[in-house]
Amino acid sequence: MSIIEIKDVKKNFHNLEVLKGVSFNVEKGEVVSIIGPSGGGKSTLLRCLNCLETYDSGSIKVIGEDLKEIKDMNSFRQKVGMVFQQFNLFANMNVLNNCIFAQTKALKRNKDEAKKIALENLQKVGMEKFINAYPNTLSGGQKQRVAIARAISMNPEILLFDEPTSALDPEMVEEVLNVIRSLVNKGLTMIIVSHEIDFVRDISDKIIFMDDGIVAESGSPKEIFTNPKNERTKVFLRKVIRN
Amino acid sequence: MSLNKCLEIFLKYWPSFLLGIKTTLFVSLIGTIIGLLIGLLVGGLRAINVDDNSSKLKKFLKKIFNLISTLYIEIFRGTPMMVQAVFIYYLVYTNIIPWDKVVAAIFVISINTGAYMSEIVRSGIQAVDVGQKEASRALGVSNIDTMLHVILPQAIKNAFPAIGNEFIVNIKDSSVLMIISITELMFQSNSIAGTTYRFSETYFVTACIYLLMTSIASFILHKIEKSLSHTTTSLPQSDTNFSSISLAKEENS
Ligand SMILES: Nc1ncnc2c1ncn2[C@@H]1O[C@H](COP(=O)(O)OP(=O)(O)OP(=O)(O)O)[C@@H](O)[C@H]1O
Ligand SMILES: [Mg+2]
Repeated sequence: MSIIEIKDVKKNFHNLEVLKGVSFNVEKGEVVSIIGPSGGGKSTLLRCLNCLETYDSGSIKVIGEDLKEIKDMNSFRQKVGMVFQQFNLFANMNVLNNCIFAQTKALKRNKDEAKKIALENLQKVGMEKFINAYPNTLSGGQKQRVAIARAISMNPEILLFDEPTSALDPEMVEEVLNVIRSLVNKGLTMIIVSHEIDFVRDISDKIIFMDDGIVAESGSPKEIFTNPKNERTKVFLRKVIRN
Repeated sequence: MSLNKCLEIFLKYWPSFLLGIKTTLFVSLIGTIIGLLIGLLVGGLRAINVDDNSSKLKKFLKKIFNLISTLYIEIFRGTPMMVQAVFIYYLVYTNIIPWDKVVAAIFVISINTGAYMSEIVRSGIQAVDVGQKEASRALGVSNIDTMLHVILPQAIKNAFPAIGNEFIVNIKDSSVLMIISITELMFQSNSIAGTTYRFSETYFVTACIYLLMTSIASFILHKIEKSLSHTTTSLPQSDTNFSSISLAKEENS
């Protein structure tokens, strides 16, 4: 059984058909990257996977659960972490408390244990010196590293990234990508939406090319980047690689 | 009008003024606090969004609640507090129970303030960037914990100037509660003026006392506001330009 099974998923926003029948599976521990032009439905699909968005038809199973039949939404979401383009750190909490909050409130860990786990993960992302800082005093790259520490402190089985470096100044992109690289091979399943072509080629087990609400092509990074079959993939890759 | 006479009145009648000050501060402080609690409840519920995915029951309840709360807010903001005070006081007094005037005064000022606070709290909540709410949901935190620990603290901080302003307004506007004869400052002043027949002098003293109370209150509120914004800022990202503009203005002045 795959950890994520997506079957013929369709979604409309009012009159706009955003997902037009998307299907693919993700295996446990895989790193899957979704690439494709803007407006193709990548974020919408990703947000469906942790129920921030609903879909109209088709089926999605995540960790064995049908998303339309989830009884305990909060405990489901604890298993599926998400890292956002805009970081979305809690502005009223310092770095440490950003990483502790959901552990104590949602996982009901005690404060000491949560703190220990938060500190470990802040160390992993190189933010242990900033535990008392508030988000508004951090750079974009620092914020995103804290957001990653916050997400992995929940020990999720799946981690979703929606363009984690798109809101960053160029010089901060690499520090965040390095942190994401360091998460690979820990048995963590990751789905990454990103425009960083070199990074996704490097890190992914599988690439999904989404365009206009469908999976236009999918395969290993080698297949997609060296020998794309779909005309739209070729056009897209020519554009992004030229840039 | 002579300033000497003012001083004389103040020195002679200061215990009466003092009682007025005490009642005014008591009624307006308690009224502001209860009003804020009402505002948190009503404004908090009003800020909850129902979308296409919500259940029918939830949508229905939300509609009913919106209707009732809108009526409440419009009625209490759209009629003078003086009218509310006499109407409610006598309505309850003659039909239900002969209640204490101070209780009645606190009741009226609280629900009146609550109407304003509801809108202040609602817009404060809506100004908190939705990304943080989504992040909290995505971490599996319950809606109520998200509200209490992420949204409301920032909403209250955003809205603090407006909330504090309600207190200042209440210090002044509680004067209309003299209509139900509680011993607040305006009522006391009327009695003093009635005995001395020195109307302008008495009310000059009264005005000075009100000014002093509101000045001190606004000084204290300013201090609190500053200490709130010292370590953190909860302005959504799109508002950072705005805040730097207002900072620049302050520096210039
Ligand atoms: N909440 C919404 N309401 C209405 N339309 C929406 C909403 N969210 C997304 N859309 C529309 O759905 C389409 C797909 O959006 P989506 O964000 O999934 O694309 P994307 O592939 O992530 O693009 P990008 O690379 O720009 O992030 C777009 O046309 C967008 O305008
Ligand atoms: Mg997107």
